[in-house]
Amino acid sequence: MTISLAIDTATSRTIVGIVNNGKVEFEQFHEGATDHGKAISELVAKALKATAIPDQVVIGMGPGPFTGLRVGITFAQSFALARSIPWVGVCSLDAIRIDSTTNNLKADEYTVATDARRKQMYWASYKAGVRIKGPDVDKPEEIDEFITNVFPDVRKLVELSSMQNVREPIYLHSPDAIPTAERT
Amino acid sequence: MQPLVLGIETSCDETAIGIVRGRTLLANEIASSVDEHARFGGVVPEIAARAHLEAMLPSIERAVKTANISLRDIDAVAVTAGPGLIGALLVGVASASGLAQGLGRPLYGVNHLASHISVDCLTHSDPLEPVIALLVSGGHSSLLQVDDITSSITKLGATMDDAAGEAFDKIARIMGVGFPGGPAIDLLAKTGSATAIDFPRGLTTSNDWQSRPFDFSFSGLKTAVARYLESTPDYAKGDVAASFQEAVVDVLLLKALAACKQTGINSLVIAGGVAANSRLRHLAEQRCEKVGIQLRIPAPALCTDNGAMVAALGSLLVSAGRAPAAHAFDADSSLPVTSINLR
Repeated sequence: MTISLAIDTATSRTIVGIVNNGKVEFEQFHEGATDHGKAISELVAKALKATAIPDQVVIGMGPGPFTGLRVGITFAQSFALARSIPWVGVCSLDAIRIDSTTNNLKADEYTVATDARRKQMYWASYKAGVRIKGPDVDKPEEIDEFITNVFPDVRKLVELSSMQNVREPIYLHSPDAIPTAERT
Repeated sequence: MQPLVLGIETSCDETAIGIVRGRTLLANEIASSVDEHARFGGVVPEIAARAHLEAMLPSIERAVKTANISLRDIDAVAVTAGPGLIGALLVGVASASGLAQGLGRPLYGVNHLASHISVDCLTHSDPLEPVIALLVSGGHSSLLQVDDITSSITKLGATMDDAAGEAFDKIARIMGVGFPGGPAIDLLAKTGSATAIDFPRGLTTSNDWQSRPFDFSFSGLKTAVARYLESTPDYAKGDVAASFQEAVVDVLLLKALAACKQTGINSLVIAGGVAANSRLRHLAEQRCEKVGIQLRIPAPALCTDNGAMVAALGSLLVSAGRAPAAHAFDADSSLPVTSINLR
């Protein structure tokens, strides 16, 4: 029996859920690319009022725009520390659930992509539910046909927690900065 | 029982956790990313924010161990809500919010500048207020009138351009003596003469004393030093450092003491990273003693950014019965000093 608090801020959505032994007891998101900080605290407060006490925290570790991504990770890690419960990190792109009928897929093979800002997308490709390429970041025209406007799913985040344990944020980009010595 | 408060500070490049019980310091853990910024000649916000996330949990755990408490014993969590680098602040605020919610304890979002001043309560038990505060760091140079550190701070003046610490960084970079510039210039200045070069004192003409008596400007000084270095290829590094430092320190104290005189407040607190400067501390002691002003400067380790100061202000807010923040609040990169405690 595991009661998981799932948190993902790798997209413009702040996603919070409670999954009690496979059953989604709470699931809400807030849309807003710069709202993660406020939204996460409000949504988690709501989740805790609505359901049982979580005994692990599952965190979407990205890839995602850095600032919002960090807000979710650091909130979730600190919550876990305060409760003395473990946290498990998973790849946010892997947690996107694609329905083959609604997306008109010919085969069980697809690529998902999310907004990385600066005219780029984070993407990964899957075959039979398994990631075969990525995660990576590129311009949209450099990525083969992809499904976008899709978001991590609370139940899938928790499902992945038994298979993955990502301990570092997935940034994929280095910080933009030029050392003094290399400036012209 | 005195409140047990954990404070988190991430407004710039230090991930700092402090724990206090009332006015007693129990832990002050600092993880700095300063070495990662050195080769860029200044703080890179994204590098700082990444380092905060990496250092946060280990720093909290270290502080709890040093203080010899359990996280569950904490009565309140306080965090710097601003001003500062927004990406850096957000990591601290999110962590504090997660901790407070996990523990079921109140969260205080506090002002970074007010925290710098409030750290005085960890060294002095007598009341601080009313006091004139000279707040000088890499990001700020302000003169403030503090009537109540938990509720009433009035801004008398601030820098029009660079912060004092920023001027130290920039001059150190031009002279190639390292980053951060404050400690490097301070050390170098000991080998030179403070009166060797007559660098300008910003905003000290009679007109300035009329129109903006408590404001500062360091950009003219910076340009003057840069021109001097260009026109004097064989300059004496020690003399430049000492004379530049004297120009900064002189004008800071001139204006701080003028503020004391005008307001009739005979107590001055100097806080912020630049308050660790040895020449500022020495000259402040001399000048304050001469005119009968009581001087309070925190120990150097409590002058630079730290978590103890955030915990200290949190503790004062709890003791004064001030209300904590609502569950959710945003960090504010330009939070005015008059906003001490976010609601």
